[in-house]
Amino acid sequence: MSPLTTGLKGRAELGVALLLGAAGVLVFLDANGLVTPYSQSDPVGPKTVPYIVAGMLVVCAVLLAINVIRGGQGEAEGGEDVDLTHPADWKTILPLAGAFILNILLIDWAGWVISGTVLFWGSVLALGSRRYVRDGLISVALSLLTFYGFYLGLGIALPAGLLEGIL
Amino acid sequence: MTIVVGYVPTPEGEAALTQAIAEARKNNTKLLVINSSKGDALVDNRYAQEPEIQSIEDRLAIQGIDHVIKQPVRGHDAAAEVLDAAEENNADLIVIGLRRRTPVGKLIMGSVSQRILLEADCPVLAVKAG
Amino acid sequence: MDVWSSLMDGFATALTPMNFLYAVIGVLLGTAVGVLPGLGPAMTVALLLPVTYALEPTSAFIMFAGIYYGGMYGGSTTSILLNTPGESSSVVTAIEGNKMAKAGRAAQALATAAIGSFVAGTIGTALLAVFAPIVVEFAVSLGAPSYFAIMVLALLAVTAVLGNSRLRGFASLALGLAIGLVGMDSVTGQRRLTFGQPLLADGLDIVVVAVAIFAVGEALWVAAHLRRTPLHVIPVGRPWMGRKDWSRSWKPWLRGTAFGFPFGALPAGGAEIPTFLSYVTEKRLSKHPEEFGKGAIEGVAGPEAANNAAAAGTLTPMLALGLPTNATAAVMLAAFTSYGIQPGPQLFSSQGPLVWALIASLFIGNLLLLLINLPLAPLWAKLLQLPRPYLYAGILFFATLGAYSVNLQAFDLVLLLVLGALGFMMRRFGLPVLPLILGVILGPRIEGQLRKTLQLSAGDPVGLFSEPIAVVIYIIVGLILAWPLLFKLVRRNRPERKTLLPANSGAADYSD
Repeated sequence: MSPLTTGLKGRAELGVALLLGAAGVLVFLDANGLVTPYSQSDPVGPKTVPYIVAGMLVVCAVLLAINVIRGGQGEAEGGEDVDLTHPADWKTILPLAGAFILNILLIDWAGWVISGTVLFWGSVLALGSRRYVRDGLISVALSLLTFYGFYLGLGIALPAGLLEGIL
Repeated sequence: MTIVVGYVPTPEGEAALTQAIAEARKNNTKLLVINSSKGDALVDNRYAQEPEIQSIEDRLAIQGIDHVIKQPVRGHDAAAEVLDAAEENNADLIVIGLRRRTPVGKLIMGSVSQRILLEADCPVLAVKAG
Repeated sequence: MDVWSSLMDGFATALTPMNFLYAVIGVLLGTAVGVLPGLGPAMTVALLLPVTYALEPTSAFIMFAGIYYGGMYGGSTTSILLNTPGESSSVVTAIEGNKMAKAGRAAQALATAAIGSFVAGTIGTALLAVFAPIVVEFAVSLGAPSYFAIMVLALLAVTAVLGNSRLRGFASLALGLAIGLVGMDSVTGQRRLTFGQPLLADGLDIVVVAVAIFAVGEALWVAAHLRRTPLHVIPVGRPWMGRKDWSRSWKPWLRGTAFGFPFGALPAGGAEIPTFLSYVTEKRLSKHPEEFGKGAIEGVAGPEAANNAAAAGTLTPMLALGLPTNATAAVMLAAFTSYGIQPGPQLFSSQGPLVWALIASLFIGNLLLLLINLPLAPLWAKLLQLPRPYLYAGILFFATLGAYSVNLQAFDLVLLLVLGALGFMMRRFGLPVLPLILGVILGPRIEGQLRKTLQLSAGDPVGLFSEPIAVVIYIIVGLILAWPLLFKLVRRNRPERKTLLPANSGAADYSD
């Protein structure tokens, strides 16, 4: 690995410390805003544990920052299907996230059958399949199947949305 | 002058390779061995591993054939890889191995060899496993 | 309480046609996800949680138990045939198992793994049936201070002992505890960390958190790092063993079981340490030490038995005390809560029939795994050729479906994405996910016990030490926390060993 990439990686991990610290401050401020009614039955009150957690977060953030600056590095998680020799492939991740967000936006308005199809089809494409027609058919089938499966089998009515009345 | 052979580690692939070697020796041409994978699954038994490639390498070297072995993993199917290689290298001949397949099997799976036969710009030699 | 008659009642429940069917489904599903890359039992149980709300809790847990044991089994199959251990507990199996497979002994390696898993799983489950009630009997006599101490121990032990970096473990735990704080405070009714958002008032649904961290985070992580070069699966027929293999396997099975169960039952024992110990022991005791490293059957039999016995051991604190010590147990515990069942020592009395049916189904699941999976091994190997786009798109699809169907709110999907991104980041920077999940699940309960304890002592912190058990546990906690310091001192006195450690090994992180 070139020194440039290791340097960048080190800096990226400082972001984790920053996130931990920010979370700690957030928890602290939120706990500060709580009212503690004096009560014999609850001497601990609702604030104590948030304060402890906030403290833990901040301490971890500081220690992590020191560790990273000194050259410490978190070990990325391996796995059966994971190849850590190449960097994160954002060309896969971003379209995947896009399909996911599209589903969130569509689900209540267009209904699960449409949004689910978009989600699955989009994800399959993002992951590199190029059989558009076959993938599309599978997506529609999967969405329809889960829609009716949940409705008939589990009694959960997923939103029908635009297709209300047809399904 | 180049011969392109589509290799897979199966009896058909072996037969194709043997035939291609014979052709290359006869005409004293360069041999291009293509063994590709779409690379879309964790396991692909049609993608040759290191020791197999090494043994082919040795075999070709002993016979004194000018050769290149390529293992593209680019998400394309085997037919496209072989056709691409043939076109890029102005191949005179493509050698492939044929597998017996029922009409139903062909309908469902499609056929790599059929696509190569139909779309190639040069002669295609199709051999069967002995 | 008569263990035997309770267990027989359990068998009667677990063997009704419907429940038996769920056991079969669980076992098949579990093995499939164990074999498939990128999927694990914890993720599968999390994905299935919402779907099982329509089921009887008993049926759901019988299925989960099958998934749990099946996942262990499937993991060993890929370790042997592909040399890609999906979980840390099957790393050791892969060492000898894959060598055996390469030498043409895949069938024997799979057979000794499967039969060893069956033996260890059955003995382990029997030990669970015997020990869990004893632990419960002891536990019901404990008061809030001891409970609080035990939970602190469980959290700290998992965080400090597992994983490579304690610091990153604690960071993950703190994040989990913070997520657990979100929602209404149960005592005063005040809203914490809801930012005025009414949808957060009930807290974050544990299903959403678990699915986000285990399924969405994992799918995104794997998608970002897909392995490009395809692997070869070693062809295998039906697993079988010869007489000599049997005689070389049975002792390692039993020894592996003896290592696995106690470690699994300990708060932070896990399955890695016993599999490693078993491997080392077998290597030392073997009459064929020269075969080790080249495919010794003992090196598959022992560790495989150890990791299955550990799986059974893990269920002891989970059922008896409500303490999960691995990811799958954590998600199963979350499932109890979702069904409105309070986990803890009362579980055996309040939900006796369910618990015993669950234990009985573990015996049944084990037997099913052996009967179904031995002939199915070649089929499982085929499963690995499933194209990845469908696999990971499927995970995202079902994660979304599951998380949405809990409350039918699109807002939950936003949470799913945000927490999924968190899970991705944690995997990227080596923050273990287990402490986070434990923090989310145990955090609120720990707070409850803390408040109960100090209520008894009217706010005096001395109340924390008012029970002898609690004091003993705090001493253990102290030892665990001080261990790296002691370790460092020992190493400093023997500097020649320091050079043996690779510069970037996990041990370097103990310095913080």
